[in-house]
Amino acid sequence: MKNKRKEHYWYLLPSLLTLVAIVIFPTIFLWYMGFTNYDLTMGWEHHKLIGIRNFQYLAFEDKDFWHSIKISLWFMVFTVVIEFVLGLAIALLFNRRIFGKRLWMSFLIIPMVITPTIISLIWKLMLNTEYGVLNYILSLFSIAKINWLGYENALWSIMMVDIWEWTPFVALILYAGLQSLPQEPYEAVVVDGASPLQTFYYLTLPLLKPIILIAILLRSIDSLKIFDIVYGLTQGGPGNATELMSMHIYRLGFRHTNWIGRASANAMVLLVIITILTNILLRIMRRGTRGEF
Amino acid sequence: MSTFFNYTRQRRVKNIVLDILIALVVIVCVFPFIWMLMTSIKTRVQTIDPSVWFFQPTLENYRAIFQKRDMFMYINNSIIVVLFTTLISVALGTFAAYGLARFQFNRKEDIAYWILSLRMLPPMAVVIPFFLLGRFVGLLDTHLLLIIVYLSFNIPFTIWMMRGFIEDIPRELEEAAWVDGCSRFQAIRRIIFPLIAPGVAATSIFCVIQSWNEFSLAFFLTSFNARTIPTTVTFFLSVLGVIWGEMAAVGIVATIPVLIFALIVQKYLVRGLTFGAIKS
Repeated sequence: MKNKRKEHYWYLLPSLLTLVAIVIFPTIFLWYMGFTNYDLTMGWEHHKLIGIRNFQYLAFEDKDFWHSIKISLWFMVFTVVIEFVLGLAIALLFNRRIFGKRLWMSFLIIPMVITPTIISLIWKLMLNTEYGVLNYILSLFSIAKINWLGYENALWSIMMVDIWEWTPFVALILYAGLQSLPQEPYEAVVVDGASPLQTFYYLTLPLLKPIILIAILLRSIDSLKIFDIVYGLTQGGPGNATELMSMHIYRLGFRHTNWIGRASANAMVLLVIITILTNILLRIMRRGTRGEF
Repeated sequence: MSTFFNYTRQRRVKNIVLDILIALVVIVCVFPFIWMLMTSIKTRVQTIDPSVWFFQPTLENYRAIFQKRDMFMYINNSIIVVLFTTLISVALGTFAAYGLARFQFNRKEDIAYWILSLRMLPPMAVVIPFFLLGRFVGLLDTHLLLIIVYLSFNIPFTIWMMRGFIEDIPRELEEAAWVDGCSRFQAIRRIIFPLIAPGVAATSIFCVIQSWNEFSLAFFLTSFNARTIPTTVTFFLSVLGVIWGEMAAVGIVATIPVLIFALIVQKYLVRGLTFGAIKS
């Protein structure tokens, strides 16, 4: 349709202007802050630009910064891989005739829509060494008590909660993908005498690939941003055992020190990593004609 | 004959195993919620005794959170913030979505994907500038600030969801209305809007759920007056070990509305979770 009058502007402008005002402008401000020495205890008029000193501090003096990046990436890789494998298994489990399927699937929604901070406290109760229900259940099988939130295990426990929360998400997306697969190729391979495993590997997985990539990237982006569950379960502790990237920014800028400048610099690092992942995700979404996977 | 019998029996065994696995998955998903429900109706001593499964339920914890803990204030704040951010996002976003769905113009997809990329921003990068700006203009700890900040993820989400719903409606319907003398705006109101109403409802509910559950931004941008429900976690963290029951009661009050909403939009869930990329 021809559109000489630029009519579309009138539909798009209110949203675009709002987004520029509340996202772009603050982001520019964040970049500016990343190059200043501002901290919350000083008056605003005393702040000054200090070049890349904040980044030098993060890179060369702040061991916790590298630690947070390391465990964040590890957290991302581990949770996403497990969530994908389990999610695919669950999607396949549901991808057949089951009595009352809709009802069972609606239970899968619970972990991902329940308020994360609140459920993280419930997990904290369930993971308690002395009176947590998990150790109680283990004791029925005569397994010794596990110190779930101790230094050694805390990161694993947070991963476990993240996996509990988001595996159903991956499962539902992959299930939707399985349901929308075309029938004809399957009829063809049955004629060719392929085994179920071969069919799965050479046919189902390739057909599902775009959806798998979307699910994995959405999860990767989200898991790098994680803050609420960590806050509820450990607040980054014990020590720095679970100080993931967002938690480290929080500690730099708000909790122990008030170094907004350094925290901003760290937030920029996180922003850059997320932006790279987002661009990959969007490119994949764009390549498949939208909505026709 | 006997091989046929064996074959069906094998199949039946296999199906039973798969059903048991599904039951396990469902139990694992639901268990923390059940545990929260049970904890909320236990007495203080029972909450730290995981071997108690059958007991006389008490509503004491619910009474306590509404009388002692100002639960109404948190609920009230959450409702105000969620309501306004959703209304504004859906109003602005639906129009933008219409613009993207029905017009062709240069760099349209670039703009659309740029909007979507905003949905992925880490809250930690958004919150620092908003914290400082809020401090300068004295908006910290107000509903208004949270409403504005929440627009940053709700508007992109709405635009993408609604674009899909509008594109699902054939252009011809609108064009027929124009032929009959409707202006574009009248056609939107009379033809398009009734048809996308379920989509608007679903999108609104997703915005409500996201905003209701949001923690990071609310945590930094409010301190007392505008605290929303997810931030109650900060209070309980300092006194936990004593009042698990009350904490669980808050959890039930906070999550029941979300669960009901989620069940309503179950049909659109995958679509919502992938910003309209996958329609199931």
